Parts: sequence; structure tokens; C-alpha cells
Amino acid sequence: MKKIHQRACKLAALLVLAGMFLTVADAQIRNEDISCFHCHSSEVKEFEKSVHYDRNISCADCHGGELKISGAAVSITAMFTNFTGVPTKTNMTEFCSRCHADAGRLYRESIHWRELEKGVAIAPACTDCHGVHNILPRDNPDSPVYPDKVPLLCADCHENQTKMSAWYYGIQTDRFDTYKKSYHYKALLVGGKGLAICSDCHEYHDVKSENDPASAIYPANLPQTCGKPGCHPGNSALITGGKVHEGQSVFLLFIDAKKLVTYFYIIMIIFELAFTLGLIFLGVTSKYELRRRH
Amino acid sequence: MGLQFKRFTLNQRIEHILFFTTFILLAYTGFPLKFPDEWWSRLMIASVGGFDNRTLIHHYSGLLMIGVSVYHVVYHLIEKPRFDILFNLKDLKDFQQQIRYFFRLSDEHPKFGRYTWKQKFEYFGAGFGAVIMGFTGLLMWKPFEAMQYFPIGVVQIANLFHTWEAVLASLAVFIGHFYDEHFGKFPNISWVTGNISEEEMREEHPLEYEEVMQNKETDEVVHETDEKRSILVLFGKMVFTIVFLAICIWMLWISYHVLVEAITTYLL
Repeated sequence: MKKIHQRACKLAALLVLAGMFLTVADAQIRNEDISCFHCHSSEVKEFEKSVHYDRNISCADCHGGELKISGAAVSITAMFTNFTGVPTKTNMTEFCSRCHADAGRLYRESIHWRELEKGVAIAPACTDCHGVHNILPRDNPDSPVYPDKVPLLCADCHENQTKMSAWYYGIQTDRFDTYKKSYHYKALLVGGKGLAICSDCHEYHDVKSENDPASAIYPANLPQTCGKPGCHPGNSALITGGKVHEGQSVFLLFIDAKKLVTYFYIIMIIFELAFTLGLIFLGVTSKYELRRRH
Repeated sequence: MGLQFKRFTLNQRIEHILFFTTFILLAYTGFPLKFPDEWWSRLMIASVGGFDNRTLIHHYSGLLMIGVSVYHVVYHLIEKPRFDILFNLKDLKDFQQQIRYFFRLSDEHPKFGRYTWKQKFEYFGAGFGAVIMGFTGLLMWKPFEAMQYFPIGVVQIANLFHTWEAVLASLAVFIGHFYDEHFGKFPNISWVTGNISEEEMREEHPLEYEEVMQNKETDEVVHETDEKRSILVLFGKMVFTIVFLAICIWMLWISYHVLVEAITTYLL
């Protein structure tokens, strides 16, 4: 009886050991960061799909701390090592810049960074646009900064009235709506290539206020911005006169020509519809009437 | 059994075929860009093989349409200008009489000549539309070249004109013209043969009929034929009706959305 009990104990211990070994081996196949995977499996799985995983970046490169520690020791070591946990936007900008020096330098010139420095917590840093763990190159259609998706990405904040008004009252929330009416966006939606998205005119890392003379959309810089190769090279100096989102009004004797055209055609189309459909109706009924009488 | 009357010359028929082919191509490749969010836009653009093909087809059919329009004007100025297409006082009277007839205020339907007042409207409407669409289309094709001579606002107004006139012209053609000339008189193949039957001539253009029958020697009377109505015609009418109704619904959808957009932007 005692022997059987001993055997069962041995077997159980063996099984537990094997189980532990197997889980460790499994984690090792997935990721070298064994200790992180135990608790943060979904984050690690997400990270495995990213471009950073392919380049041998590890959890510790962004979050600090030690990789090769046992799960039990994590909470203790976290306090004594340089473990950062969820990085602040400032920290993030710093460690992203370690590799992406140019992007970091440009981003630090942007209005997004300046507002962040002023203490506007809602202002976006790297991960707000590029995603967190599953960062992908911008030519990957799943990336949030894939060109076709950029208008929606920017609109996510810039169309949001609560976000924009909570932050700073000068920001208009109709930028996406006005962009939607342009050829740039309409053609993009139905499969056009090489069409201007937000970042093509406003720049992306160093996006600046329209009042900043260094901004790509400052009136004096517009010829250069619109005249990029592949866009409108050559004659682009001509665009300086007009506001792109608002459109330019042309006045005929103090009347806005666009309103005039619109009113004219509203009347014409209502007239055309009423007339055509009315005459069809009258024609059909009178023919019917004629047949009935005969 | 009846006489056949010449209505369209070969030249006019070729002009008409070129004009409506380019018109349909232009509408087919143009409206999807106005409503890029809709499912049918993607289908239509995919059916011509992508966005670049769409643009190519739209631009070159536009050029061809401008060419046909210019040719038409030049041809009729050189050949022999005809004045029976111009509006006159009789058209106004015909219109009044027709409305009175429709509202049972009179039992007498007006007697039309070679061109009814409606056909004149359609003709000049097409001319007016071709001029507007041609000029604004060229401006939008080369916006930066256009901006050397006009401010950017003029190009934007060209865009506005182009859309509106497209909707107006398509309504006139796909509902009005299709109903009057092709649905009501199905199968109207005078656009292929150039001839109309005696029955149609007497009913639709009684004044012209009387005039022509007074001197039967003119080349207006072509030859006599037997008229047959086959099951094929019935089937054709069924197919045409379905297509016509679908296009009508599509056009009404488009005009509704264009009107709502304009009213919300400019009036509210």
C-alpha cells in the first residue's frame, strides 16, 4: 500500500515536472521572454506579429527590466531594476528615438509634441498612430499608418469634437468632412493611386500648426508642398491663393457664384423631375382615358 | 402595311450613336466618383478594370463627345441650316394645348410638326449640356494649367457645374428621353434605320405628315413595308422595361442625394 502511494507520488511529481518543462519549452518556441509571456501572453502574442519581433527587439528594450528572471521574482526585481512598466509618452518618445532618430527628431518639432510638453495628455505620441505592440511597416495594409487608412486615423481624433474642444478651441473638426468632398479622397476610396492623404500635405512626424511659418501648409510653403514630385510639380505656385479645405469663393456682384450655381441647379433639377415625371403621369392617364372612351 | 418616312439622315444617326455611346460611358465612369462610398461605385469601377481605366475612358469619351458636338455645329452651319428646330410661338400654343388636353380641359390634342416642343427642349438641352460639360470638364482635366488663367475658385465652380449638369442631363436622357422616344414607342429602331412608320408619322407629327403627303414625290417617303410584332419584341420590351426602371431608380437616388447634399450645405 505504501509502495503504491510512493509510486503515485513519484508519477505525479514527474508529470508536474514534465508539464512545467513543456510549458517552458512552449514559451521558448514562441518567445525568448519566458517570464513576460507567463502573465502577458496576449501582449507577447501581439508583439510576435510586429516588425520589431522580426528585428530581435525584446520586451525589455521598451519596458526595461530583466528578461531572464523567474516569475516569482518579477515583482521584487521590478522595484530594483530599471523596469518602467507602461511608459509615459515622454519616455516612449525617448526610447523610440534611440533607433528611429530621424523620426524622433522630426516629431519633437511637431505641434503634437509641443502640446504634450505643455502638459496636454491627449496629444499623440508614437504609439497613438503606429499602434502599440503590433507595430507594422507603413506599406503593410494592416498597419494603421497604411496610406489608405491615414485619413481615418487622423479623423479619429480630429473629427472628435469632445477631444478637440477639451484640448484647444482653435482646432476645426470639419477637416475630414471637407477633405471627403475633394477629388483626393473620392478617388482614393474607389481605388485611385498616388492621391494626397492628410500626411502628404501636413507632413506626419513634424506636423505643424497652420500659423507656424515652418509648416508645410503655411501659405508661403504651399507651392513647395503641392509641387512635390508625383503631385503637381511645375505650376503649383498658382495654388497659393486658395484655401484647400474651404475652397475659394468667387463673387459675381457680391453674390457667391457657388451658391448661385447651386440654387440654379436645385431649381432646374426639381423642375426637371416634376416636369418629366408629371408629363409621364399625365400622358399615361390620358392615354388610358382615351382607350376607355373608345 | 404602311409607308416609311425618312426621319434621320445617315450623318445624324452616326452622330446620335457616337453621342449616346460617349454619354453612357461618361455617366458610367463619372457617377461612381461622385458617390465613392456606395457599393455600386466599386462594382462599376471594377467592371472597367480599375480607377486608371475609368479616368482614361472618362477623359477620352469626353473628348470624343466634344468632337461630335463641334462637328454637329460646323456641319449644320456649312451644309444647310434648318430653322424648323428653333422655338416659335406655335410651340408655346402646343404646350398650352397639350396641358389643357391632359387636364381634360380640351378634347383636342395639339398637332405637332416635324419637331415637338419637347424634342426641341431635348435638343437644345443636350447642346447646352454639351457646352457646359465640355468646358468644365476640360478645366478639371488640367486644373493647374487652368489656374494660370483663372483663380482656383473657378476650377471649383467648374466642378460644381460638372456634377449638377451631369445629374440634370442624365435625368433628362435616362428618364425623359428614354420614356418618350424608346419606352413609349418600343421598339423604336428609327435611330438605326432612320425611318418611321406611317402610323407613327400620322400620330406624332400630323402637320409634317400632311405636308409630305401633299407632294409624295419628295425623298421623305422611303418605301412600304409589312409591320410584324413578334414574341421577340415582347421579350425585348420586358428586358428594356426592367433596365429602364433600374436606371430610373438609380437616377432618382442620385438626384435625391445631390439635392440633399446641396440643401444641407447651402441652405441649412
